Amino acid sequence: MSRHSTRFGSPPPYSPTPPEQAERQQVSRDPAYQSLRRIRRRFGVRATAVAVGGFLLYVLLSSFVPGLMNQPLIGHLTVGLALGLGQFVLMAVIVWRYLVHIRTHVTPLVRGLRGLARQHEAAGRGRAVPGPAMAPRDGEYRSW
Amino acid sequence: MVIGAAVSDRLSLQLTLVLFLSVVVVTLFTALLTAPQRDEISEFYLGNRTMSPLRNGLAMCGDYLSAATLLGSTGLVALTGYDGLLYLCGTAVAWMMVLLLIAEPLRNTGKFTLGDTLALRVPRMQRPVRLALAVCTLAITTLYLVAQLVGSVALLTQFTGEPSATTRTLCVVVIGTVVIVYAAIGGMPGATFIQVVKAVMLISGVTVTAVMVLHRFDWNIDALLTAAADNSGSGTRFLEPGLRYGASTNSKLDFFSLQLAIVLGLAALPHVMMRLLAPKEVGVLRTSVVWGMGLVSLVCLAAGILGLGATAVVGRDTIADTDRKGDAAVLLLAHDLGGAVLTALLSCLAFVTLLAVAAGLTLAAATSLAHDLYGEVIRKGRATQTEEVAVARLAAAVIGILGMLLALISWGANTATLAFLAFAIAASAILPTLVYTLFWRRFTAQGALLSLCGGLLCSVALVVFSPVVSSTPTSFYPSADFAWFPLQNPGIVSIPAGFLLGWLGSVLSRPETPEIYEDFEVRTLVGVD
Repeated sequence: MSRHSTRFGSPPPYSPTPPEQAERQQVSRDPAYQSLRRIRRRFGVRATAVAVGGFLLYVLLSSFVPGLMNQPLIGHLTVGLALGLGQFVLMAVIVWRYLVHIRTHVTPLVRGLRGLARQHEAAGRGRAVPGPAMAPRDGEYRSW
Repeated sequence: MVIGAAVSDRLSLQLTLVLFLSVVVVTLFTALLTAPQRDEISEFYLGNRTMSPLRNGLAMCGDYLSAATLLGSTGLVALTGYDGLLYLCGTAVAWMMVLLLIAEPLRNTGKFTLGDTLALRVPRMQRPVRLALAVCTLAITTLYLVAQLVGSVALLTQFTGEPSATTRTLCVVVIGTVVIVYAAIGGMPGATFIQVVKAVMLISGVTVTAVMVLHRFDWNIDALLTAAADNSGSGTRFLEPGLRYGASTNSKLDFFSLQLAIVLGLAALPHVMMRLLAPKEVGVLRTSVVWGMGLVSLVCLAAGILGLGATAVVGRDTIADTDRKGDAAVLLLAHDLGGAVLTALLSCLAFVTLLAVAAGLTLAAATSLAHDLYGEVIRKGRATQTEEVAVARLAAAVIGILGMLLALISWGANTATLAFLAFAIAASAILPTLVYTLFWRRFTAQGALLSLCGGLLCSVALVVFSPVVSSTPTSFYPSADFAWFPLQNPGIVSIPAGFLLGWLGSVLSRPETPEIYEDFEVRTLVGVD
């Protein structure tokens, strides 16, 4: 029975509303949470649309507008081949923007909300409020 | 079927064998040493959860890149130029979906399988949903596993010419048995180790060969392109779209359909999804996926250079004569550049690659069977960890044997077709459910069931009634003709169908209580480390 231990902080699926769930619902009313929700979804949808949509557009252009894609640029390098390499550059740029976005906009909000959740949890159990635990810092993992 | 002379001489075959055996022996020993000692499901399913991002990224890259990428897509580039390069590009772009949308929310809400995530959304209907998920997972992994095992026979063909029935059986049985040992005894730690070994070998092997190609052309890309176009037999048409997929509007749509399935299907492949659940911290997962992306992109770029180099150095006619599908391109190129040693290295690499991917797939299928089907559907969550791990080991053996039997029956099948069907099923059955589960408040169990079953049936049915199965000389039943669906890849129809069915099922059924989604959403965004 103990296999659904709360190792991930997860309630077992069948139990009645556990204390953590009530705390999560308090977190979800926090304005910081609402803005976290908005910016994550907006960035995720836009970046995916640019990356995946851009690639599918490139495939369609190659198939149906070969004239444009066959314009030579330098030597044998055509517009189509250059755009293909451009996909890799585009991906690199999006990944870089994504990591910056996470670092500057998302991580601070998540840290605050986790602290909030812990406070609720502690308050709910009638204990003293502990200070917000140290959030894991990026770049400090065990090396190879 | 024109399979010409063998690629290479006895020396490189012997070298390949020695190299392959030493890699297998070393990885098997390590798999036994690192095998989970206590019967803990977390250790068996997820392995070491505190690995560094680089190692995780290598394992992801290893799980994703199969022998089809190394041999098949370089061959495609060598034979069709631009269209092949386009295909390689799609292989890399697929990671964007994973990084930007799927990885973090999935890890924050998941435990061992996608079924655990879904169970949080639809707690009352979790059993039928888990059952449907297990069926889809099994379909995808079996197809992909058979593709890998059939690929081993195709690879052997490169050396010995058409193999006899005994050689064929021996090859499949040996590879299949090693795979079963990795998955059943080693569990996730064993699979991860071979995945990392294979990824390191693959990346270094492909990069070194690409550097040798570039060096041969004095690092002048234009000279490489010129030589490739000259030796391709089609001049500058080689560097223009349409050589492979440009014959008609149908084949253009077919190619688009394939790209759609690849770009959207990756995020929903069961063995890749399992990898995403392993890291303990979200930050590690994010860095791992970025590593994985970078390494996959590197391999794709290098594979493009290898394909162009094969045409430029060896010539298209020789490649097409040796193997109609072009699978021999890399090995012929290696033979020309580095003689028997490089050929042996790259073919050993190909064998290890398909071994590793097959092990990952077997483990993913076993996890789904043991955790979703046995643990939650049959035993209703009352199975002990020891029981569940025992079932997982047994399931790995059963799936491995099933894969071997199917591979022996269908050894002449085109590996790419099998793999593409697996991608299409993943993109049309599992991806809609995954996306709706993570992001759509109104999603219900009925929607999940409808999109899982509907997506699976739709993609399989469309392939059955496509030129893959009947009506063309290369199909399974060339003499019959019931192919009313004109495309070989069902994605363009079945992916929208999967999303539509999920929407329809949800809208028509009673909504779940809103608190469930609110709770779930907090979990996806804030997470619990």
